[in-house]
Amino acid sequence: MDFTVLTDHASEIGSGFLVTLWTWGGGVLAGVIAGLVIAVIQLSAGPWVRGVLRCYIEVIRATPFLVQLFLLYYGGPSLGLSLSPMTAGLVGLGIYGSVYFAEIFRTGFTSIPRGQQEAAAMLGMTAWQIIWRVQIPQMLVLILPALVNFTTILGKETPVLSIITVPELTFVLTGVGAETFAYVETLLALCVGYFLLAELCSRLGQWLERRASRYLTQGVQQRRALKPRESAA
Amino acid sequence: MLEARGMSKRFGEHTVLQDINLSIQRSEVVCLIGPSGSGKSTLLRSLAFLENYDDGEVFVEGELLGYDRASDGRRVRSRPSRLSDVRRNMGMVFQQFNLWPHLSVLENVMEALLRVRGMKKDAARRLALATLEKVGLAEKADAWPNRLSGGQQQRVAIARSLAMSPAIMLFDEPTSALDPELVGEVLQVMRQLAEEGMTMVVVTHEMGFAARVADRVLFLDQGHIVEQGPPMTLFKNPQSPRLAQFLGNYLERNSLFEAAPALNRVDD
Amino acid sequence: MFDLALLVQGLPLLLAGLWNTVWLSACGLALGFLIGIGVCSLKLSERGALRRLGGAYISVFRGIPLLIQLLFIYYLLPRLGLDVPAWVAAIAGLALCSGAYLAEILRGGLLTLPVGQVEAARLLGLSGRTTLTRIKLPQALRATLPALLNEVILLIKASSLISAVGLAELTRTAQNLAASSFLQLQFYLAAAVLYCVVNISLALLAGRLERRFAKGRA
Ligand SMILES: Nc1ncnc2c1ncn2[C@@H]1O[C@H](COP(=O)(O)OP(=O)(O)OP(=O)(O)O)[C@@H](O)[C@H]1O
Ligand SMILES: [Mg+2]
Repeated sequence: MDFTVLTDHASEIGSGFLVTLWTWGGGVLAGVIAGLVIAVIQLSAGPWVRGVLRCYIEVIRATPFLVQLFLLYYGGPSLGLSLSPMTAGLVGLGIYGSVYFAEIFRTGFTSIPRGQQEAAAMLGMTAWQIIWRVQIPQMLVLILPALVNFTTILGKETPVLSIITVPELTFVLTGVGAETFAYVETLLALCVGYFLLAELCSRLGQWLERRASRYLTQGVQQRRALKPRESAA
Repeated sequence: MLEARGMSKRFGEHTVLQDINLSIQRSEVVCLIGPSGSGKSTLLRSLAFLENYDDGEVFVEGELLGYDRASDGRRVRSRPSRLSDVRRNMGMVFQQFNLWPHLSVLENVMEALLRVRGMKKDAARRLALATLEKVGLAEKADAWPNRLSGGQQQRVAIARSLAMSPAIMLFDEPTSALDPELVGEVLQVMRQLAEEGMTMVVVTHEMGFAARVADRVLFLDQGHIVEQGPPMTLFKNPQSPRLAQFLGNYLERNSLFEAAPALNRVDD
Repeated sequence: MFDLALLVQGLPLLLAGLWNTVWLSACGLALGFLIGIGVCSLKLSERGALRRLGGAYISVFRGIPLLIQLLFIYYLLPRLGLDVPAWVAAIAGLALCSGAYLAEILRGGLLTLPVGQVEAARLLGLSGRTTLTRIKLPQALRATLPALLNEVILLIKASSLISAVGLAELTRTAQNLAASSFLQLQFYLAAAVLYCVVNISLALLAGRLERRFAKGRA
């Protein structure tokens, strides 16, 4: 095996890596925002709107991501929606992610005791203030593991974007492989690359979880109490 | 200042409150007693429109709570802003405290001052600290709610409500979720409030508190107000067999354990 | 944009594609199940080395995207002198990957079994293997049936990636029809509908089973 093909094409591979990070990050961001909107609407809207959203969620969950991408990228133009591969990929990841994120947010919302909302309402807080100040901060901590988990899953969907010619890591490396016949080397590099990304993501998640859930276990007073000792040392 | 006229509430087929008429004067302390499931919580929550009552009316300082009159005479649900406007002078304290665990004690009390009253941070902090001082918890201002005892949490919840300077406060079994030895500290705070002239409606099983602090006691059974009057008249001389039985059960339970006499729960 | 006649003409092909999707997924699942049992028993074994091996299998096959795994098998096997047909490579890819997920599902099911049952079986003199196949597995299966069905849905969706190695399953068939007729939207929509029919039925079944088990336990 000859891994010099990788160093020979380092700059292409680097840009492919950046495209992967960009589509992944952008897809997660779009999915989280859309999912949050869906979850909030689901909790507050009437039965009709809820029914429509339920259908959207079920349909997206029942169809393969690749088919959704094809619909968006190849089917879009007949509806007057011509997207570049990159945009189609970002939007596709966002749509696909939105329904899973929405389900995560919905469980999060319903796991916060109703009494806390009632207490806020009795103090005159508006529905928006209750969502933003009471529910979301607590919910984020509860659902963080699920969010991290699905973010990793979405990352593992990004190679599919290569099929609609988004120039991300898989596209670049399979291209290099076809050009140089170094299939094994490039595929091995891909395996290692994605494996490391997934590991990194879950490590980062664990760290975030520990930080975010501190208020559940450790008092402010304790942290304050540590300060004098630090300054004394 | 708080009035219910012919109010009823159903959950599906099940009528929980029927034809409730009730008028509460300024600075009056009213205790609601009654067996479990008699509708005490539902009544209290309807007075705050946390349950939307079906028939009748509730007035807070003369304003209809929860509904507006449409032009054709029928009534429609108030918009949220109108609802909070009518209940701006009401505070509520819950059995389960319902503090927000992600905010410190001080932040819990400051939150509504900042976001609802629109106070400046400094002023809100000063007022919040003063209110916490009042319930004896100023030194816990920076603690997380979950690190406090139940009694302390309930006092924070009272302070959170009190800081908004309500004219009337509703309490739904504020001591029922507490260990027995923590009940006194909460009742003490409530008694102090009553002495300062706060208008209060208290659902409680603490007969000692009712006897000493209430101006009037209401006995609720199966969704009806069966009997009402000054506590001593009601406790010493129950008119209805239901109330007699309820009080009988209560005294029997207490004499069985021969603990500190219930009527002396709140020490002078 | 839409052409009903062409759709009707293409329908038999689409259904044939769906059939391929279903049987490839089914084979992948069956094989993956065997792998899952194996990996699961590695993971639950008393020997540290075996446990680590099981753990490594799971994190490798769950950590690497399925598309990459498929490409790997597809390109690598010929290099090793194994000239296997594409469908074998496809099933192998699905099985290897789903094996990792199924192992975790089974392990979850086994871990929730009361310890007393296993001890009772041991006391009765049943061997470790008999205990596994006669006592533990049937119960773990029952408890994890909804999760397993869910895994089937995931697998059917994942099988669309087989189109990338050229097999005429549902997605590839839709792709071919779309390209030759220029009715992209129509044929991809048709494929989406067929996926929905299969997967939503499975999801409903899973939901029903879940409720039934929840009731049985209460
Ligand atoms: N959200 C609800 N839906 C249906 N029924 C309800 C609901 N809330 C209360 N009920 C019913 O209304 C009746 C009165 O309940 P309520 O909670 O007001 O009683 P309570 O007097 O406060 O009892 P407790 O002393 O146990 O708190 C009960 O029969 C209860 O089952
Ligand atoms: Mg109650």
